Amino acid sequence: MSTQTETEDVGDRGVVERLRASPFLSQLLSNRLAVAGLAIIFGMLAIGLYARLFIDLQSVTTSQIGTNPNVAPPSWLGPKEAQVVTDYGTWAYPFGTDIQSRDIFRRVLYGAWIALKFGTITVAASTVLGVGLGIIAAYYGDITDNVIMRTMDVLLAFPSLLLALALVAIFGSGLWKVVIALTLVYTPRFARVVRGAALKVLEDEYIEATEALGAKDPRVLVRHILPNCLAPITVQSTLNFGLAIIDIAALSFLGFGSEAGTPEWGLMLANGVELGLLTGDWWWSFFPGLFLAITVLGFNLLGDGMRDALDPRMRETVD
Amino acid sequence: MISKRFVIKRLLLLVPVLFGVATFVFAILHLSPGDPARVIAGQRASEEFVRQIRTELGLNDPIWVQYGRFLFEAVQLDFGQSYQIQRGQPVTEVLRYKLPVTLEMAIYGQLFGILLGIPAGLLGAVKQDAVSDHVTRIGALTGISVPIYWSGPLVILLFAQVLGWFPASGRIASEFSIEPITGVITFDTLISGNFAAFQSAAMHLLLPSLVIGIYSMALISRMMRSSMLEVIRQDYMRTARAKGQGSKITVMKHGFQNALIPVVTVIGIQFGSLLGGAVLTETVFGIAGIGTLLVRAIQVGDYPIVQGTVLTFAFLFTMVNLLVDITYSYLDPRIEQ
Repeated sequence: MSTQTETEDVGDRGVVERLRASPFLSQLLSNRLAVAGLAIIFGMLAIGLYARLFIDLQSVTTSQIGTNPNVAPPSWLGPKEAQVVTDYGTWAYPFGTDIQSRDIFRRVLYGAWIALKFGTITVAASTVLGVGLGIIAAYYGDITDNVIMRTMDVLLAFPSLLLALALVAIFGSGLWKVVIALTLVYTPRFARVVRGAALKVLEDEYIEATEALGAKDPRVLVRHILPNCLAPITVQSTLNFGLAIIDIAALSFLGFGSEAGTPEWGLMLANGVELGLLTGDWWWSFFPGLFLAITVLGFNLLGDGMRDALDPRMRETVD
Repeated sequence: MISKRFVIKRLLLLVPVLFGVATFVFAILHLSPGDPARVIAGQRASEEFVRQIRTELGLNDPIWVQYGRFLFEAVQLDFGQSYQIQRGQPVTEVLRYKLPVTLEMAIYGQLFGILLGIPAGLLGAVKQDAVSDHVTRIGALTGISVPIYWSGPLVILLFAQVLGWFPASGRIASEFSIEPITGVITFDTLISGNFAAFQSAAMHLLLPSLVIGIYSMALISRMMRSSMLEVIRQDYMRTARAKGQGSKITVMKHGFQNALIPVVTVIGIQFGSLLGGAVLTETVFGIAGIGTLLVRAIQVGDYPIVQGTVLTFAFLFTMVNLLVDITYSYLDPRIEQ
C-alpha cells in the first residue's frame, strides 16, 4: 500500500513540475479560444449538476399531458395558430413542450447531465484501457506488442460509428451498452498514441538505469513511463470527449441508445425529427441539438488549444 | 515515383488486417443474442422446422467448419441470403443496388467540402490573424462540433419546409421511375436522357451533400490553413520571394503544391469517416443506401445483411486508407523510409 502512495506522489509532483517548467499552461491560458472552451465546459457541468440535483427526473421523463400545454412553441413566442395557451409571453416554457407535454427546457438541462456522465465514463474507460495496452505493448515488445497492436489495427479498420453499430448488434441496445461499444471503439487510438510516446521514453537512458538498479517491471511502467506520456494522453482525451458525446447521442438518435422517455439529447433529436419536423415544430429538435453542439464545441476548442500549446512549431507562429 | 516495394509492402500488411476484420464479422453472428434460424422461421414456427433450418444453414457444424466456410465464401463475395429485409435475396445482390446510393452521396458531399474548404483554408493562411482568418477558424471548429443529425434537420426545416426550395427527403420525385443501371441516380437519369428526372435527382441530392460537405469543409480548411502557414515559413519560400521570383501569386502557387500534401491525407481519411456518417445522413434524409440498410438489419436481426454491410464498409475504408498512403508517398517520397 505504501509503495502505491509513494508512486502516486512522485507522479503528481512530476506533473506539477512539468507543467511549471513547460510553457504549456501559460500557453493554453493565453489562447482565448481554449479559455472559451474551458468556460463552456464548466458552464455545462454546472447546468448538468444543477439538473441532477434540482430537477425531478420523473417529471421530465413521463408524460405530462394535462399538466402542461401540448406541443406548444417556446412560450415567449406566443401560441401556435388555433392553440390556446395561457402562458405565452412569459418564460414558463422557454423551449416549448413536446408531444407528451413535457417541458423541453428542463429536459434539455437534464440532458447535459446525461451527456457529461456517459461521455466521462466512455472517455475514462477507453483512456485507461488504451493507456494500459499501449504501455504494455511498448514495454514488452515482441509478440505482446504484435498481438496487441494488430488487434488495434483491425479495430481501426472500421469507420468508428460503423464499428460501434456492429458492436451494438452484438451487445444489444441501451445507453450502458453504447458506452461499452464506444469504449472499445476509442481504445485503439489511445493505445497507438501512448505506445508511440512510451517507445520514445523507453529509449531514454534513465529507463535503462532504473532497470539496471533492479526496478521491477510494473514500477518502471507506472513511475516513469506514465508521467512522461501524460501530455499526448490529455490532448487525445479532450478531443475524444467531444466525439464521445456526439457518438453516444448518434447511437441514441438511431434508436440503439437510451430508453424511450429518457431526457437524452440524441433521443430528443430523434423524436423531434420523426414527429416534429414535418409539422414544422422546430423547437423539439432545435434546442437539444444546440446544447449538444455547444458542449462539443467546448471540448474541441479546449482540445485544439491544448494541441497548439504542446506543439512547439505552433508556439512560434502563435506570437 | 512510387516504388513497387512500398505498394507491395502496404498490400501485404493489409492481409492480416482484412483477415481480422473478417473474423470479427464472423463473430457478429455467433456472439449476437437470438437464434438466426428462429429469425428466419418466425416466432410461431415449430421447433422441428427451426431445427431443419439450422441444419440447412449449417449452424450445427463445428464452429471452425463454419468459420472456414464463411471465409471461403466471403472471399468469393458470397455473404449468404437475407433473412428478413429482402428475404431469400443474396446479400451481394442487395448491396449492389444500395452501395452506389451511399457512394454517390458521399462523393458529392466530399466535392462540396473540397471546393469550399481549400479556398477557405488558403484565405486564412494568406491573411493570417485577419478577421477573415478568425472567422474561418471558428467556423471550422463549429463545423466539426455540429452533428449531422442536427444540421440535417435544420437545413430541411429551412430550405424544404419554410422556403420550399428543395425536397425534404428521398432521392427523386415519385413521378419518375428510373430503372437502376449503375445505381448512381444522377448518372442513370442522364444515360436515359431524362433531364427532368436528372434535375429532380440533383435537387434531392443537394441538401444531404451540402450537410456532409459542411463537415468535410471544416476539416479540410483547417488542415489547408495550418499546412499553408507552415510552408510559407519555409526557407525556400523566403528565398524564392527574395530572389524576386515572379509575383506574389507565383510564389504562393509554388508553396500551395507542397502544402496540399497533408490536405490530401485529410480528404482521404475524411472520406472514410464520411462513409460511417452515411448511416446518420441517410436516416435524416430518408435515403435508402447501405447506411439505413444496416440500421434496419440490426433492428430486425438480419445478420447476413449486417455482416455484408459491415464487411463492405470496412473493406472500402481500408482501401481508401491504402490509397491515401500511396498518394502520400507519391507526393512526398520521403515517407517511404
